[in-house]
Amino acid sequence: MFKPSKFIVILLVFALAAALLSGCSQNQEENASDSSQDAKTEEAIKIGTIGPLTGDVATYGISTKNGVEIAVDQFNENGGIDGRKIVLISEDTRGDQTEAANAASKLVDMDKVAAIVGGVISAETLTGGPIADDAKIVMISSSSTAKGVPEIGDYVFRNCLSDEVQAIQLAEYAVEELGLEKFAIMFTNNDYGLSLKEAFEEKARELAEVVGVETYNDGEKDFRAQLTKLKGANPDALYIAGYYTEAAKIAQQAKDQGLDVKFLGADGFYSPVLVELGGEAVEGAVFTAGFFTDDPSEKAQSFVKAYMEKFNAEPDMFAAQAYDAAMILLTALKNANGVGGEAHQKEMLKIKDFPGITGNTSFTPLGDAVKDIIILKVENGKFAKLR
Amino acid sequence: MNYYFQILTVIMINSILAVSLNLVSGYTGQLSLGHATFMGLGAYAATLFTLKLHLPFLASIILGATVAAFFGFVIGVPTLRLKGDYLAIATLGFGEIMKNILLNLQITGGPMGLRGIPKVTNIYVATAALILVIFSLNRIMNSRVGKSFIAIREDELAAEAMGINTTRFKILAFIIGAFYAGMAGGLYAFLFRYINPKDFGFMKSIEILCMVVLGGMGNTYGAVLGAFIITVLPELLRSVSPVIAQYRMVLYGLLLVIMMIVKPQGIISGSSLSNRIKRKKLLEKGGQ
Amino acid sequence: MDIIPSIDFALWKGMDSKMFIEQIINGLTLGSTYSLIALGYTMVYGILELINFAHSEIYMIGAFLGLVMVSVYKLPFIAALLVSMAGSCLLGITIEKAAYKPLRRANRIAPLISAIGVSIFLQNAVLMLAGPQARPFPTGFNVTNLNLGSLRISSLQLIILLVSIVLMVGLHFLIQRTKLGQAMRATAQDKETAQLMGIKIDQVISFTFAIGSALGGAAGVLVGVYFDSVDPMMGFFPGLKGFVAAVLGGIGSIPGAMLGGLILGLVEMLGAVYMSRYKDAIAFAVLIFILLLKPTGLLGRKVQEKV
Repeated sequence: MFKPSKFIVILLVFALAAALLSGCSQNQEENASDSSQDAKTEEAIKIGTIGPLTGDVATYGISTKNGVEIAVDQFNENGGIDGRKIVLISEDTRGDQTEAANAASKLVDMDKVAAIVGGVISAETLTGGPIADDAKIVMISSSSTAKGVPEIGDYVFRNCLSDEVQAIQLAEYAVEELGLEKFAIMFTNNDYGLSLKEAFEEKARELAEVVGVETYNDGEKDFRAQLTKLKGANPDALYIAGYYTEAAKIAQQAKDQGLDVKFLGADGFYSPVLVELGGEAVEGAVFTAGFFTDDPSEKAQSFVKAYMEKFNAEPDMFAAQAYDAAMILLTALKNANGVGGEAHQKEMLKIKDFPGITGNTSFTPLGDAVKDIIILKVENGKFAKLR
Repeated sequence: MNYYFQILTVIMINSILAVSLNLVSGYTGQLSLGHATFMGLGAYAATLFTLKLHLPFLASIILGATVAAFFGFVIGVPTLRLKGDYLAIATLGFGEIMKNILLNLQITGGPMGLRGIPKVTNIYVATAALILVIFSLNRIMNSRVGKSFIAIREDELAAEAMGINTTRFKILAFIIGAFYAGMAGGLYAFLFRYINPKDFGFMKSIEILCMVVLGGMGNTYGAVLGAFIITVLPELLRSVSPVIAQYRMVLYGLLLVIMMIVKPQGIISGSSLSNRIKRKKLLEKGGQ
Repeated sequence: MDIIPSIDFALWKGMDSKMFIEQIINGLTLGSTYSLIALGYTMVYGILELINFAHSEIYMIGAFLGLVMVSVYKLPFIAALLVSMAGSCLLGITIEKAAYKPLRRANRIAPLISAIGVSIFLQNAVLMLAGPQARPFPTGFNVTNLNLGSLRISSLQLIILLVSIVLMVGLHFLIQRTKLGQAMRATAQDKETAQLMGIKIDQVISFTFAIGSALGGAAGVLVGVYFDSVDPMMGFFPGLKGFVAAVLGGIGSIPGAMLGGLILGLVEMLGAVYMSRYKDAIAFAVLIFILLLKPTGLLGRKVQEKV
C-alpha cells in the first residue's frame, strides 16, 4: 500500500509548485512595476498593506487600504520621497491570522517592501508583526487595539485609540457630565470587547455603580435574554463594548424590552450603519472616537474630498486612521532618506505631535500612539461632537 | 527564501493534520468534524508548558500532543458508540464546546489568546516531524492494529464477528489521530507565535477534512498531497493577479465542487481493491 | 391583572416568573425558525443521506431575496416571502443538479465536500455582490407590543410563530396526504424498491430539495425581519444550529426536526440567561447528552444494519 515511489512523486510535485509559486510572484512584480510606468523600478520605494480584502471583515481592510492609498497619492503628487515614487502593494488576509503571517512574509521577503501598514484585525498584527520585526521593517497598525500589539517588538507601532483610554475617558464623562449613576455593560467576547469592558468596569465602579455585566458573541442577533436580565437590575446607562452592527441591534431590542437607558460605546460605534440599522433606538447614544467626517479642519476636509473623489464613498474611521498611519510612516521614511529599517524605526520614535486628521499623535517608547479622543453623540441620525 | 520556507512549513504542519485525520476517517472510517479541536488542545497545552512551566520546546510539543491524545480518549469513549453522521455531529459538538471553553478560561487568555510564544518551528523541524509521523503511521498500518482499523472501515459487523473489539480499536485510532494533531498544533503555535481559539474551530476542521478528501481518503500520501494543494492554492491565487485575487474565495469554493465531480475519490484514489469492488457493487445496486 | 400564576420560576435574583415566560416565548420564536431550517436538512438527509451544508446559504440568500423584494420592488411582506420561497426553491434544485447529482453514485463523503464547496462559493459570491455590511429589513408593517396582562409579546413574534406553524402544517399535509409525499416517503425508506414501483427518483429528489429550500428561504426572511438585519454571513450559525436541531430530533425524521428546533431554541435562550458565556456550549452539550442516551436522536428511527 505504501510504495516509496509515491513519496518521490509527491516531493516532485512540491518542487514543481515551489517553482510555479516563484514564477508567479516574479510576474506580479513585473506587473506592479508596469503599472507605475513613469517611475523606474529600482528607484521606487515599495510600501505594503496587510488586511482583509475579502471575507466577512473586508469592510475594515478595504477602508484601511483606501486610506493608505490616499496618503501615498498625496506623497507622490508632492514628488514622492526625494524624487522616488512610492508604490503600494496590498495583500489580502481574509481576516485570517495564518494568512496574515504568510502575507507579511511575502511582502518582506519577495516584494522587499520598506515598511508595512497593517494588520487590521489584532490577530493579524500579532502573527504578521513578529515577521516584520524579525526582518527589522517598520510595521504600523491603524486598528489593532488589542493588548500586546506594541509589545511585539521595536519595529511594530500602532496608530489608534487605546481601548483602555477610551473606556476610562467615557466612564468619567458619563458620570461627571451626563450625571449617570447605575451602569450596565454588554461586551462582545473578543479581545476588543474584553479590554474595553475591563477598563470601563473598573473606572465605573470607582466613580459610580455597575449593576450588571453580560456578554455576547460577534455576529449574534438575539440579545433579549441578556437584556431581560439586565433590565431586572434597573440601570440608567448601558455601555456596549462592541461593534456597530450588534450595538444597533442591542439598542433596538433593549427599547423593545422596555429597557429605557442611555447607550454608551466606543469607536466600534463609528459608522453610518449604526443609525441605518438602529434607527430611532440609537438616537442620543454617546461614544468615543478618533475621527469624524464632519470635522471642520481643513486637513480633514481635504482628505474626505480626496477619498470621495477616488472611491465614491465616505471615509470611515478605519480609512482616517490608516491615512494618518501611512502619513506618519512616510514622513518618518522621508526623514530617514527613504531607507527602511533601523533608521526608519528611529525616525518613527522621533515623531512628536504629528498633526493628523485624527488628532495630534506621538508615540510611547513602545510604539503605541498617544492621541486625542473625541466624544460623539447621535443627534437626529447624525454624529455630532460633544467634546 | 523565507517566504517559501514559511509556506512549506505550513504545508508540513497541515500535512500532519491531514495524515492524522486520514487515520481516523480514511483508514478507520469514522467521520470526524472536530479534528481541529485536538490541534487546538495541543497548541494551547504546548504553549502553556513553555510559557508557564518553562519546559523546553521538544518536551512541550510531546506533552502537548499527549494532552490532546488524552482528550481524544475522553471524547472518544462516549462518542465512538455513535455511528456515521451522528458521530460526525458529536465530534463537531465537542469541538464547539472546547472552543467555547478556551474562549472563557483565564489561563488560555480567553479571546485574547496567548502571545509571546518563542519561534522554534522551522522547515527542518516540521519536515522531521512529518517524516516521523508518516514513518510511525506506516508501521502502525502494517501491523495487526492497522489491519483491524481497515477491517472496521470495510465492514464493522464482520470485523466484530472476527473477534476484533471494534470500539477499542476505534478509540485507539482516535487517540493516535489526536496525538498527531496535537503535535501539529504545538508546531503551529511555535511557528506563528500567537494562538487564539478562533483558529481551531469548525472551519479549520472542515479545511482539514477537505485536504484528506481532495487528496484521496484512505491514503497517507493523498492526505499530504491534499494538504499541499489546499495550502498553496490560496497563495497561488494571491500571486496570480490582483483582479483574480479578489475572487479567490469564490474560486476556491468552485474548485472544491469541480474537483469532487471530476474525481470523487480524490486525486490519489483511496488505495485498496475492496473499494473498487464496493463501488462496483454500488453501481450495480444503484442502477440509473 | 396578572394572568400568570404566581409560581416562582425565578432561579436567581431579579428574574420573576413573568420574565421567565417572556424568555420561553423568545425561545420558541427562535426555535421555530430553527425548526424550519432543520426541516431542509432532515428531508434531504432522509432521501440522500447527505448533510447539505449549502442549506445555510440558501437560508441567507432567501433572506436577501426577501429584502430585495420588499425594498426594491416594494412588495408587501407576504408576497416577498412567497417570492423568496420560490427563488430558494430554484436555487435548491439548481444546486442539487449541479453539485450533488453527478456525485450520487460516489462515496458518501464526496457530496459532503461538494456541499461545503457550494457553501463557500455562495457565501463569498454574495459577499462580493452585496458587501459584508448588515442591512436593515424594512417590513412595512408596524410592530407593536401586545400586552397580555403584564406580559409583553411583540406582534412580530406572533407572526413568525404563525407563519412557521402554517408552513409546518402544510408540509405535514403534503407529506402525509399527497401522492408526491407518498413517493418521498417511499424513496426515503428504500430507494431501489421505490424505483421498482415506478417512482421517478430524480423528480422526487428535486422536489425534496425544492421544498426544503423553500422552507429554508422562508426561515431566512422571517429571521431577517425578526432581527431587522440581513448580511452574507448570517447563514453560518443558524445553519449549524438547524443541523444540530435536525440531529437532535433524529435526522431524517420530520416531526423530529420540528421538535429539535423548538428544544434547541429554548435551551439556547435559557443558556443565554443563566450563563451567556457558555451559551453555544450548552446547546451542543444538550445535543451530545441526548445522542448518548438515544444514539439516533429523539424521534429517529433505528437504522437496521445490513449484514
